[in-house]
Amino acid sequence: MPLLDVRDLTTHFRTEDGVVRAVDGVSFSVEKGKTLAIVGESGCGKSVTCMSIMGLNPRVNTEISGEAIFNDRDLLKLRQSELRKVRGSEISMIFQDPMTSLNPVQTIGAQLREAVMLHGQSTKRQASSRAIEMLKAVSIPRAETRLDDYPHQFSGGMRQRVMIAMALINNPDLLIADEPTTALDVTTQAQILKLMNELQRDFGSAIILVTHDLGVVAETADEVLVMYAGKAAERGGYADIFYRPEHPYTWGLLGSLPRLAQHGGELRPIPGSPPSLLRPPSGCRFRVRCSYAMDVCGAEQPPLDPVAEGSSHLVACHLEPGHRRAESERLVGEMMAEVR
Amino acid sequence: MAEPLLRVDDLEKHFPITRGIVFQKEIGRVRAVDGVSFEVARGETLGVVGESGCGKSTMARCVMRLLDPTGGRIMFDGQDITRLKGHDLMRVRRELMMVFQDPYASLNPRLRVGAIVGEALQVHKQGSAAEIKMRVQELLEVVGLNPEHYNRYPHEFSGGQRQRIGVARALAIRPKLIVCDEPVSALDVSVQAQILNLLKRLQREFDLTYVFIAHDLDVVRHISDRVAVMYLGKIVEMASGSELYDHPLHPYSGALLSAIPVPNPDVARARRPIVLEGDVPSPINPPSACHFRTRCPRFHEGLCDVDEPQLVERDPGHRVACHFPLESWPLTDLRMGAEPVKTP
Repeated sequence: MPLLDVRDLTTHFRTEDGVVRAVDGVSFSVEKGKTLAIVGESGCGKSVTCMSIMGLNPRVNTEISGEAIFNDRDLLKLRQSELRKVRGSEISMIFQDPMTSLNPVQTIGAQLREAVMLHGQSTKRQASSRAIEMLKAVSIPRAETRLDDYPHQFSGGMRQRVMIAMALINNPDLLIADEPTTALDVTTQAQILKLMNELQRDFGSAIILVTHDLGVVAETADEVLVMYAGKAAERGGYADIFYRPEHPYTWGLLGSLPRLAQHGGELRPIPGSPPSLLRPPSGCRFRVRCSYAMDVCGAEQPPLDPVAEGSSHLVACHLEPGHRRAESERLVGEMMAEVR
Repeated sequence: MAEPLLRVDDLEKHFPITRGIVFQKEIGRVRAVDGVSFEVARGETLGVVGESGCGKSTMARCVMRLLDPTGGRIMFDGQDITRLKGHDLMRVRRELMMVFQDPYASLNPRLRVGAIVGEALQVHKQGSAAEIKMRVQELLEVVGLNPEHYNRYPHEFSGGQRQRIGVARALAIRPKLIVCDEPVSALDVSVQAQILNLLKRLQREFDLTYVFIAHDLDVVRHISDRVAVMYLGKIVEMASGSELYDHPLHPYSGALLSAIPVPNPDVARARRPIVLEGDVPSPINPPSACHFRTRCPRFHEGLCDVDEPQLVERDPGHRVACHFPLESWPLTDLRMGAEPVKTP
């Protein structure tokens, strides 16, 4: 049984201009100790998906439906007080911006201790020693002396380490990381990714990694969910998505990467930009940017179906499977051959 | 060799740190750019990479003369522009343009697109109002926007479209050199690819020269002919794109290259990136001699901290500033840190 099973998650925001369908019927599951990557461009609903699971969306003007079964409970049905017990202990979250997600007027030590003491019976001293232990685990030098420092005394990479320490301090079963390395430089990103990998091995947490960077996905993910305009376009194991992708949007994402067009080749970007979620296109939401669009694409939403009988690789596209597979081989074969 | 379009010698930009209100006393300096030299040939793209705070944007602003350099010399098109003022500077500015990073902040929200793109034409008095309008509409078409959108405001456009407006503005007065400061880093990957293709096409059509600054090494490689790697206010390595990416010589370039996530799972999972310890030191008090020595796995006491390595040509067209350049590539963690051998 998966650790987290999300079924048909829908998050709509009511605004003055109409209903924004930020997430529209997304399903996925995360296994214990595994990493699920949610990929997509800005505004595709990947962050809203995580916020909905955590119950962090504003209550006013938000409609959430579907199920998110985590340890036999439906997170979407829990009351705020119950959710508060789950957050930070069983599920914790790392946000994108390490500059704004720590409280600037509290010491690192106070913030780490708070996380421990809210969810257990420990004394301040026990909480402090746990905090030091975690800061050591995320390789912060001289951890003992840094508890009394404020966030501004840490660099960006160090702050993200503190965030990770805080997220893992209660040994959560699930860690949701929303663009954890996007604000960081590549060398710092490499440090943080390596660290997350090691911690996952040591603590056995499952990770939902939200990112737009397919390179990061290739390094860390077990399963991948590709989202477009609030819907799942494609889902599968990492090898399915990188070597046998079947959705034209996934092809477009890969074709936009300079790394995959190294030898003087032109990039093959997706034309246009993502649609407004106030009035998404009828049928397949990608069809207006898709070079394979047919009449049926505007009339009917493609269902998210297995690419073959019994396969765990799912794709939502009306293209004929044989044709899709041939295109995938043609496009992706070329690109992947260029990578070293 | 033909005369380069842009030649920068030993450029320095220091920002003073002062104390006191009435009598300001200088108590230190941020050495943002600390002796940078390079040249850019006509029609070439020079890529500049480095992490945040390495001085690449400050360097660009000095070249544009938006900041006054503390020291050094900037030669543009055979003319020394380092200390130009007034009308002379204005004349040079006609040939130098810039595309900025943030397409949301770099367009005046209260001006219509036509006014934004046409502003430089007006300032430099390039034709009557009607002529300017025609030219602007032509430019909008060139960058892939609808000329009918002349009267719209920036907020009506998406990020990618705004960056196209920024490019149209830079093209308006037919500059010789365009400095692009992280032009695609705020954009989604599919839109980023559109803008990169656009910049490449325009370079061919209008014979442009680019200085292209970015922190994304894959992007820089894709667009550049030559690439300079900056670390803490200095250029540590400079070579042609393929040379630098296939045979980096400086340990910092090596670490940077090995840290880029590769979008191919088998390759990504097989390799062992060189993970640098610690953070970039402050440019207020950079380490003595080689600025990279505090994080360098090849640090050699008594040499790297005393004797500053100069940017010298090791292989034809490949310059590096290091006492112990890498012998081969790719390197593993282990070999990277191995006892370095001094090469003459």
